[in-house]
Amino acid sequence: MSENQAKIKVSDLKKQYGDNLVLKGINLEVANNEVVVVIGPSGSGKSTFLRTLNKLEEPTSGSIIIDGIDIAKKDTDINTVRENIGMVFQHFNLFNNLTVGQNITLAPVELSKETQSEADQQAKKLLDMVGLEEKFGAKVQSLSGGQQQRVAIARALAMNPDVMLFDEPTSALDPEMVGDVLEVMKRLATQGMTMVVVTHEMGFAKEVADRVVFVDDGQILEEGTPDEVFSHPKNERLKSFLDKILNV
Amino acid sequence: MKRKFFNASFLIAFLGALLFIFSLSPVSSKAEKTYQIGTDVTYPPFEFANKQNKYVGIDIDVMKAIAKEEGFKVNIKPVGFNAAVQSLDAGQIDGVIAGMTMTPERVEKFDFGTPYYKTGVVMAVGKNSSINSFKQLKGKRVALKTGTAAASYAESIQKKYGFKTVTFDDSDNMYRDVETGNSVACFEDQPVMQYAIKQGSKLKIVTKPANQGYYGFAVQKNKNKELVKKFNAGLKKIRQNGTYDQIVGKYLGDGGNPKVKGKTFTIGTDVTFPPFEFANKQNKYVGIDMDLMKAIAREQGFKVKIKALGFNAAVQSLESGQIDGVIAGMSITNDRKKQFDFSSPYFQSGVVMAVNPKGKVNSLKDLKGKRVAIKTGTSGADYANSIKKKYGFKTVTFDDSNNMYQDVITGNSAACFEDQPVMQYAIKQGTKLQIVTKPALAGDYGFAVKEGQNQALLNAFNTGLKDLKASGSYDSIVENYLGSKKDQKIVTKGSTSDDRSFIGLIKENKDALLSGLSQTMWLTIVAIFFATIFGIIVGLLGVIPNRFGNGVSSVLVYVFRGMPLLVLALFIYTGIPSLTGTKIPAFVAGIITLTFNEGAYIAAFVKGGIEAVDKGQMEAARSLGLPFGKSMRKVILPQGIKIMIPSFINQFIITLKDTSILSIIGILELTQTGKIIIARNLEGFKVWTIVAVMYLVIITLLTWLSNWVQRRTKV
Repeated sequence: MSENQAKIKVSDLKKQYGDNLVLKGINLEVANNEVVVVIGPSGSGKSTFLRTLNKLEEPTSGSIIIDGIDIAKKDTDINTVRENIGMVFQHFNLFNNLTVGQNITLAPVELSKETQSEADQQAKKLLDMVGLEEKFGAKVQSLSGGQQQRVAIARALAMNPDVMLFDEPTSALDPEMVGDVLEVMKRLATQGMTMVVVTHEMGFAKEVADRVVFVDDGQILEEGTPDEVFSHPKNERLKSFLDKILNV
Repeated sequence: MKRKFFNASFLIAFLGALLFIFSLSPVSSKAEKTYQIGTDVTYPPFEFANKQNKYVGIDIDVMKAIAKEEGFKVNIKPVGFNAAVQSLDAGQIDGVIAGMTMTPERVEKFDFGTPYYKTGVVMAVGKNSSINSFKQLKGKRVALKTGTAAASYAESIQKKYGFKTVTFDDSDNMYRDVETGNSVACFEDQPVMQYAIKQGSKLKIVTKPANQGYYGFAVQKNKNKELVKKFNAGLKKIRQNGTYDQIVGKYLGDGGNPKVKGKTFTIGTDVTFPPFEFANKQNKYVGIDMDLMKAIAREQGFKVKIKALGFNAAVQSLESGQIDGVIAGMSITNDRKKQFDFSSPYFQSGVVMAVNPKGKVNSLKDLKGKRVAIKTGTSGADYANSIKKKYGFKTVTFDDSNNMYQDVITGNSAACFEDQPVMQYAIKQGTKLQIVTKPALAGDYGFAVKEGQNQALLNAFNTGLKDLKASGSYDSIVENYLGSKKDQKIVTKGSTSDDRSFIGLIKENKDALLSGLSQTMWLTIVAIFFATIFGIIVGLLGVIPNRFGNGVSSVLVYVFRGMPLLVLALFIYTGIPSLTGTKIPAFVAGIITLTFNEGAYIAAFVKGGIEAVDKGQMEAARSLGLPFGKSMRKVILPQGIKIMIPSFINQFIITLKDTSILSIIGILELTQTGKIIIARNLEGFKVWTIVAVMYLVIITLLTWLSNWVQRRTKV
């Protein structure tokens, strides 16, 4: 994993809300095709960190270089960058005024990537992939949480991104729905998608992650392979975090 | 227990409130009578707030002086002219003194005290305007003040001269409208206009006073005779002791005719010539001539000394210059004109025929073969003899009037001939006869001065006579002696033929009400259109990720939502032209006002509606690479608008109702139409009911329409 292969390179990233320093200087590299899982207690800043990666949160200082472009700079055209970074939200955020199919085709069509019929074709393919091919014309409100999240993943994939960001994608789901969503994510990982995943699903982290990053108090306190992080934690806070999470 | 306590305390609070209300009402304060008197807000020099913010003016000072004189208290309430008149109609106040002209309609509706001020309507135009006659008004716009006699006058000549009118609630706005050039002229009572110009209004008076009339103090019809009595008594006293002149002098600088003011003239008259001059039971000289002379003297500010010399002696004394003038039922003849200068005729006399009202004789033709009674040596006898042959009747001669009348009453004679005033006076005194012909051999009575002398007195007499005739004082003097013409008058005014029922009022005012309604609808529709555009733009400015835009939006909403619609309307209509020098038509000003005001509210709920859409929706759209505008259009607005629809409907209804406020700048919408109709017929309760129902009908229709739209958008 050499320097020039890094898909994402974050250097000394800080984020401040008023007097509250939420991110205290984060340094992280994500290589092409790598799956990085970010864990940490609530309020540790891990979601904020993920959201700065497509500038839903404006960084206060530092740099975020994606494919050689520093998106932290003011003059970067963030819309173009975002086209290549898919994002999946905790609360799915499907467009309530549109059908499932329209949710998936809106961005490709509006941004003139595809014609409506091309987009429809692709949407059906993506729905097939997430196991919801029959839901193309359905209303968003008629879907269960798990189904909605899978549609959200399909929606993100419709722009053919080369990075996918997942912000606690299963936290808002009923337990029986979690499996389906994780299944889709695993499949993406095996297909070689570069992924940054914030999650509490330690099983997923152990199985799928190339690297696990532990964030607390706005800093990365420890990182390594799943085995290193879960089986041989060094940091005291990581140890106590894992204790709480795994021994419930 | 708790519940009981609540009930008890509620009851106590309720009773307390009732007691409070009763303590406020005048009913409880009968012991020391304080009258509630309504007046206009600003009608200088009759009522206005001075620099110390105290209400002063001729009306206020006269009212207070009278109250002091008669020992009662007044509480003067400057509620505005129309509000005062309507409050009086509704019995909420005891009287109105507000430069209120005694029009026939008003006299019918209210009881008036003795007239206390003379006035006339003048037209004023901008200082630099070239307009100086009614003819030049054709096609132009004229500003009026609702409910004034000046407005009625202007409306009465509107068709003839082909101008448009716009009405305001107060004089200031009316003047401003002419000053800014929105209107070319305004009509106003002369003293008011003069005072305004004296105070700096950039206007000039270009016509002579027309439609002269008197200001009167009004109370509810038949309900407050006591107050009228006190007012009249007090007015008489303050006129006699000079307080009245002092008050008027204080505001207008001078009173009466300066050329004759304060002088005393000696006037000769006949000894006995009823009803023109005769000694009454108290042996005081009264009669039409006497009362007229005294009224004119008072009006013009001079004094008279009456000398009952007898007709011939009076004429001779005048010739020799021993007296200044003669008023003695003296006909204006060519011979007399050689020696004397005559005033305008003050009475038209002539011979009339009187019959028994139960008889069948109604015209000269009916006299054929009948007997007619005449009095020796009178012009009536001369006239009867001259037409005797033509109509084929016989005559019987009497030496005095009474016997002549009796002969007709008993039916011995079919009719008698007599001088009109003499005959009328006799009938008034109880003679059961009826006049059935128009005066023949008509002649005019005039007031005489020696040729070439005392011209100031003659002019003063003419001016005073004109004023008395205009004010109705002349009529009341004549009526006092010759009987009331009132029945006749009411018929000729046509007001009794008015149908004052709801249906009658609707029929009579249908066109006005419908045109007011359509103006209201236009205002509403156009205003909603622009306000919606303005509101959406400002609302969106408030949610875009741009600090400057957010700031602009907040300020616009703050300013226009924070300003009363009324103030905004006046500011835009009268303020903007003063600042920029360009005039704004009232309708446009109204639309701008509503656009800003209603638009500010729309902006607030558009912003709120957008903000009510889950933040995640925008984030999701942006995360896909969609720019802000597209995300807004495709994702946020469609959801936000659904949230906003009930607010939109609500705002449309409010807009419709708010158009009524634009009546302040003279837009002839439904409310203003109502005001104008009421100003004319004084049927406040009924007309407001009609107007209210019209609003309700429209709002009901609008609500149905909106509900339908709402249902459609939900699907």
